[in-house]
Amino acid sequence: MRYEIRVDGHMSDILAEAFPELERVVMSGQTVLFGSVIDEAQLFGLLARCQSLGLHVVEMRRMPD
Amino acid sequence: MVVSAVVTGDSNTTAPAGDRVDPLGDPFLRTRFAVPSRPATFLPRRRLTQHLQEGLQTPLTMVNGSAGAGKTLLVADWTASLDRPVAWLTVEAEEQRPGTFWAYFLQALSTCGTPLSDRVHCPVDPSRVSHKVLSEIAEDLVGRDPAPVVVLDEFDRVSASEVAEQLEFVLQHAGSGLRLVLVTRNEPMFSLHRYRAAGTLTEIRDAELALNPEEAAALLELHGLTLPADAVRSLVERTRGWAAGLRLCALAAQESPDPETYLKEFEADHSTVADFLLAEVLRRQPPQTQDLLLRVSVLDRFCPDLVNGLTHRTDAGLILAELHRDNAFVEQLGQGWYRLHPLFGEILQTHLRVRHPGLEPDLHRSAAQWMRRRGALPEALAHGAAAADWGFTAAAVVDDLAIGQFFTGLRSDDLNELFSRMGPEATGPAPELVRAARDLAHSDLDHGVAHLHHAEAWLSVDEDDPATTQLSWAFLEAVAARLTGSPARAEQAAETADEVRQEVPPHLLDKHPELSALLLTHLGSTRLWAGRYEDARAALSEAADCPGGILTVLPREESMGHLALIDYLNGWPGRAEDQALAAMTETERFSLPQPSGSGIGRLVLAAVAVDRHELGRAQALLDEADELDLDTHDPVKAAGRAIATARLHLARGNARAAMESASPALATTVASPWADSLEQLVTSTVHLAEGRSETAAEVLQHLPEDQPTWTVEAAHIQLAAGRPGAAIDLLDSVPADSRPGPAVTVRAALVRAQVAQMAGDTETARRFVAQALILARRERLRRPFLDAGRWIRPLLAAAPLRSLAAEWLLPGPVPGNGPPPAVGPRPAPIVVQELSERERDVLQRLAQMMSTQEIAVDLYLSVNTVKTHLKSLYRKLGVNRRSEAVHRARDMRLL
Repeated sequence: MRYEIRVDGHMSDILAEAFPELERVVMSGQTVLFGSVIDEAQLFGLLARCQSLGLHVVEMRRMPD
Repeated sequence: MVVSAVVTGDSNTTAPAGDRVDPLGDPFLRTRFAVPSRPATFLPRRRLTQHLQEGLQTPLTMVNGSAGAGKTLLVADWTASLDRPVAWLTVEAEEQRPGTFWAYFLQALSTCGTPLSDRVHCPVDPSRVSHKVLSEIAEDLVGRDPAPVVVLDEFDRVSASEVAEQLEFVLQHAGSGLRLVLVTRNEPMFSLHRYRAAGTLTEIRDAELALNPEEAAALLELHGLTLPADAVRSLVERTRGWAAGLRLCALAAQESPDPETYLKEFEADHSTVADFLLAEVLRRQPPQTQDLLLRVSVLDRFCPDLVNGLTHRTDAGLILAELHRDNAFVEQLGQGWYRLHPLFGEILQTHLRVRHPGLEPDLHRSAAQWMRRRGALPEALAHGAAAADWGFTAAAVVDDLAIGQFFTGLRSDDLNELFSRMGPEATGPAPELVRAARDLAHSDLDHGVAHLHHAEAWLSVDEDDPATTQLSWAFLEAVAARLTGSPARAEQAAETADEVRQEVPPHLLDKHPELSALLLTHLGSTRLWAGRYEDARAALSEAADCPGGILTVLPREESMGHLALIDYLNGWPGRAEDQALAAMTETERFSLPQPSGSGIGRLVLAAVAVDRHELGRAQALLDEADELDLDTHDPVKAAGRAIATARLHLARGNARAAMESASPALATTVASPWADSLEQLVTSTVHLAEGRSETAAEVLQHLPEDQPTWTVEAAHIQLAAGRPGAAIDLLDSVPADSRPGPAVTVRAALVRAQVAQMAGDTETARRFVAQALILARRERLRRPFLDAGRWIRPLLAAAPLRSLAAEWLLPGPVPGNGPPPAVGPRPAPIVVQELSERERDVLQRLAQMMSTQEIAVDLYLSVNTVKTHLKSLYRKLGVNRRSEAVHRARDMRLL
């Protein structure tokens, strides 16, 4: 499963280290984290991580493989 | 990883709650129950406290907002002005487990000065809480006025729906006696729609928590910043009124030479708010403060001394006090303890990893050592494991004498999980002992014994090993001895333990009463296996009398179960039953889920039920015991199960099945006389049943001669095989001073009766049968009469025996006109066994016409337990119905 998570704002390089399993692009004031996700457990884990880092999730979607 | 870092530094941090400890055996830690204090720059928000105040009308209030929304401090501020008790509990990840959660819940109430009554039991198993405890809690809260407010902060850490369901149950049944406030980042697994529909929920969510421009202006002003209204408004827009964001803005701007321009720049910037601002604020701290903040991010909570240890400084106290005063990073918990704001803690940890890669394990190691010095074992273990320093972590367990906790089930899950990560590279006596303990706790005998050998090799190399290491080794030796049925090894282990115990610091022995209790149980179990009943009884009684409350409940239960088995083997079914019930009550008292415990008590009860010809009940008890996942590697339990099962099969006339179940596959060092005897008796019975009386007699030759229990059964078989002479010889060989129990004497009397009957001496036969009836009636021993054969039926059916057998052995009352002569309408029991305290309780309620259900509720027992008490009550009173029981008890002035 490949997912992308879009969060508000530009993420610093340091904070991006909190998501070592995902890649990152910055576009129009938002950061898109994307990559393969093993299962739902990891997906919810990623969301929880966003929450505990104070990130504002704007969109999350599954990408075609 | 963040590891809880609370310690029992001094007696002040231990809550004054009598001897109530959490299921992990640690003293409760006050910082968990501390209401975080508000910093000087805290902005009181009336509209929200007002809403919370109105929330007191509803049983449930939920403050639900993102990290950094200002939830915790808001609720803390509101509770400060409440004129009713407020129990505060900051939930930690380990409170996922229901048992632990409820133990902390109870302690939170007790810490705030509204303890529940002593009748409410503290859960003892970290992973479970019984329904009974929840009912007790709810019932105790009912009608409290004013109702205590229980705040559960960081409730999002509880992801287990079980805990949420249990909370809902308690909340519902406590009525107006409890006000629950959940502070959480996400919606709890409550059926919130129902609360909403019923109007019993007060919700404060992100939108309401967000600061409006006026509040934002006030907050900035507290930080010494005065901004024009539109500047404030655009800041609120940029941060969405997010409290943490605004606070960071203020802090960053404060340090800037031109705050207003700085904030303009921030508005235009596109960075994520917390990330950007935190980096800014951190950058403006002096280097040593930055370093300190990064280092403490591995700790959940910290005090100056711990921080000094982690940062190699001496002035952490000053820096922490300053940080708490000046910014939002550090929250104060009281008594010198602090924590990082959770949001910043997470971000700081990421910074730590980037700036100092590889430092994290070192920090955990330092923290582990500090915890170890302060005697905070669970925290030391958690940090040691996080540092992957297994030599240290294993040594911490062994030095603390906590090795028994792999077995008692109290901390066992945690310990096993923790050490499952230990790789093979860790060497030394402590890691080997820990490996042996893990394997033995899972009955992996081969690996366990191998690790025990490795440990022994280490011990023999280094003579200076601390006494705790040697005692831990001796303890594990006793476990291995028990599982291998090796009395010599057990005695050796016990001797070694006695020798080194003198050198172990007494406070460690006091801290871990479970170690001695377990060791005695293993010793007793091994002695019992070897047939040394009296020696076994000595060790087991000592174990059963061990102090230590919940820490020793499992070894105590197991010892009492073993004692019950000894009574049974000696032919005292009534005593065995009482002892087994006492063992089971022991686990129920501590609200272990039912059924629970070692299962040995149930096996004994099943065997007793067979003797009473209550076959359905025997089967049910065996099924219950099997549900407990009985350890089939344990020789005594396996043999105990074989006895009950084989006897049940025999009673059902299923000789072949009996033979199969009579010999469990066990590889023990020594044979067990009683387990072997049982096997021989069953084999002999099968031969007899299949017409091979010669072979049957042959098998009996191997029975030990000094056990009246087996001798009497052998006599019965000899007689059935047509050798009355041999039967009588066997009976005469029983020494008069051996004082066997009724299960033996009843059978002996019946054998003599049958011999007399065969010789044509009906009068003597009748006398012996009468003797057997009198002995058996009190114990309701029906099986020996059913086994006796057809000859006994005419004797029992006729007077005078008929009246002795009526109602308990033969159905229905005595026939005929009018009362039978001499005996009276209902023969009173010859002797009444003393009623236990619980049985008296039940009896008194019976007399008040209470139902079984009502009695169960009233006595805080399960319905099944009440039924069990009723059964033994009936037996002791020699009656079959509750009305008779009350009558009989009145007659006997028991009521």
